[in-house]
Parts: sequence; C-alpha cells; structure tokens
Amino acid sequence: MGEADTRRSQLLRGVLDICLLAVMSEGPAYGYEMTKRLRARGLSTVGEGSIYPLLGRLERDGLVETRRAASNGGPPRKYYSLSPAGEGALEAGRREWQMARDAVDGALDLVTSEVRP
Amino acid sequence: MNEFIEECRREWRRLGVPDPIANEMAADLSADIEEAKSEGGSAEDVLGNSAFDPRRFAGSWAVARGVTAPPAPTPSHRRWPVLTFGLLGCAALLALVGAVLVGGRQSASAVSRVGRIVGGPRSIRMFRGSPIVLQHVEQFPGVALFALFLLVVGVVGIGLAVLYGFRWSGGRIGPWEVRRYRGRSGDPRT
Repeated sequence: MGEADTRRSQLLRGVLDICLLAVMSEGPAYGYEMTKRLRARGLSTVGEGSIYPLLGRLERDGLVETRRAASNGGPPRKYYSLSPAGEGALEAGRREWQMARDAVDGALDLVTSEVRP
Repeated sequence: MNEFIEECRREWRRLGVPDPIANEMAADLSADIEEAKSEGGSAEDVLGNSAFDPRRFAGSWAVARGVTAPPAPTPSHRRWPVLTFGLLGCAALLALVGAVLVGGRQSASAVSRVGRIVGGPRSIRMFRGSPIVLQHVEQFPGVALFALFLLVVGVVGIGLAVLYGFRWSGGRIGPWEVRRYRGRSGDPRT
C-alpha cells in the first residue's frame, strides 16, 4: 500500500461508519453488497480492516436493524437497514463531516496561497 | 479461504462466542467471500488486509458485536498510577527520615560544640525540641550511617518513581515531552 493509499485509508477509517449508514439509507444491504456500493462511489480502499466489525458495532449500538433473508439465488444473508437512531446518527455525521471538511479546506487554501509565488 | 473461516471459528470458540452467533458470522462471511470469488474477486475484496490475520479479525468482530468482552488492559497499564505514587510516597518517607536523622546529627554535633563552649547540656535543650532523638543519634554512631543510607535510598527511589511514572504515562508529562516536540522537523521552534 502506497503512501497515498495509506492516507486515504486513514481518512476513510474515521468516517466509514457514516458512509455505511449512508449506503444503507439507499436500501437494506448485506455486508459485501455494502462494500460494492462503497466501491461504486469511489471508496475502493476498505484498507486495513473490513466493514464487519463496524457493522457489528452499529448493530450493537442500535443504529441498524437486521433481518435474515434469501439473496438472489444464494444462501440467506443478513440484511442491514437504518434504524431511527441510525438516521439521526447519519444526519449528525453529515454535519460533522461538513464542518471538518470546511475546516480542512480552509487550512489547505491557506497553505496554497502562502506557497504560491 | 475455508481455512480462514475455520481459524475464525477457533478464535470465536476460544473467546467464548456462543455457537449460534459464531455460525451466523461464519455463514455471512462465507457467503460474501464466495460471491466475491464468483465475480472474479478475492477474499481481500471483502476483508481488506484482515484476510491475512483471521484471529485478529475474528476477535475484533466479536468484540464489536458485544458477544465477547474486550481484552482487559494489562495490569501494569492499569496500576501504574498506584505503583508510581506508592513508590514515590515510600521513597519520600525514607528520604525525609534520613534527612531528619542526618540533619539532627549535624545539628546535635554543632549544638554540642556550642554547648560545651557556653555551658553544657542545658544549652542543647534550649536549641532543640527533641533531645531524646539527638541523644540516640549521638550515642549510636551507626545511626548516622543508617540515616545516610535512608537518605540515598529515598532520593534514588524518588528518581525511579518519576521515571517509572513518566514511562507508563506514555510521555505525556514532564520536560522530555517538550524536548521531543521541539526536536520534530518542521516545528518552527526548532
């Protein structure tokens, strides 16, 4: 993993739970399906871990609801969907990300203007 | 990859994860990996780097689900404040006793000399509030050596307690942290 991938992975790790809640808001999904949804949005670097422990934590915290159902021709899968508490957490996460992104954008713009000849 | 799932199962068994939950997690994992393979992918597409460390992956998943307790912190991490302050207290006590005895002996010698000049033992009682202690110090020359020993042990103990506490606090306190920070490249204060 290169330096850029490592940084990207570290950045993603802090917001992966919000991203998972976001892709779940599109409809119930099982584990690997969520990985594919993330990848379709450019988040291909799951990185050093996987989403399973994170899904476990979201379930334990009551942010997602689960049900077991048959998948397309495959074995029964565990589908995750947003709970009401998860919807609230997603909105809060969006606001937090917006603030963090604005702050970082501001800092990076400042750096760019300082080094500009 | 069956070997990966079997390794996860062994870890869940070791951690005391109930069989129904372990079976459910293993089934979900197996189905996802099979799907990734059927699409031309690999287990890494599902697991990331965790594909190379099944025990750690299984443990973190079980802890995250709340079906097993997280590993307890090591006793040394949990007890370092108690040990540090205990050691510091004992060392300070030894140093204090040693200092009092050493200081008392020196005072007694000095006062004794003055006393001989100005009129005898009554002068000592005029200068010192604890003539009994001073008498013992004066009567037993070994006490002076013992007092010095206590003082040295106490001072060394205080030093060790400070070093031990600094080490287990993760370097968050003390002047070393400041020096380390200043030593970083790019820091404008360097």
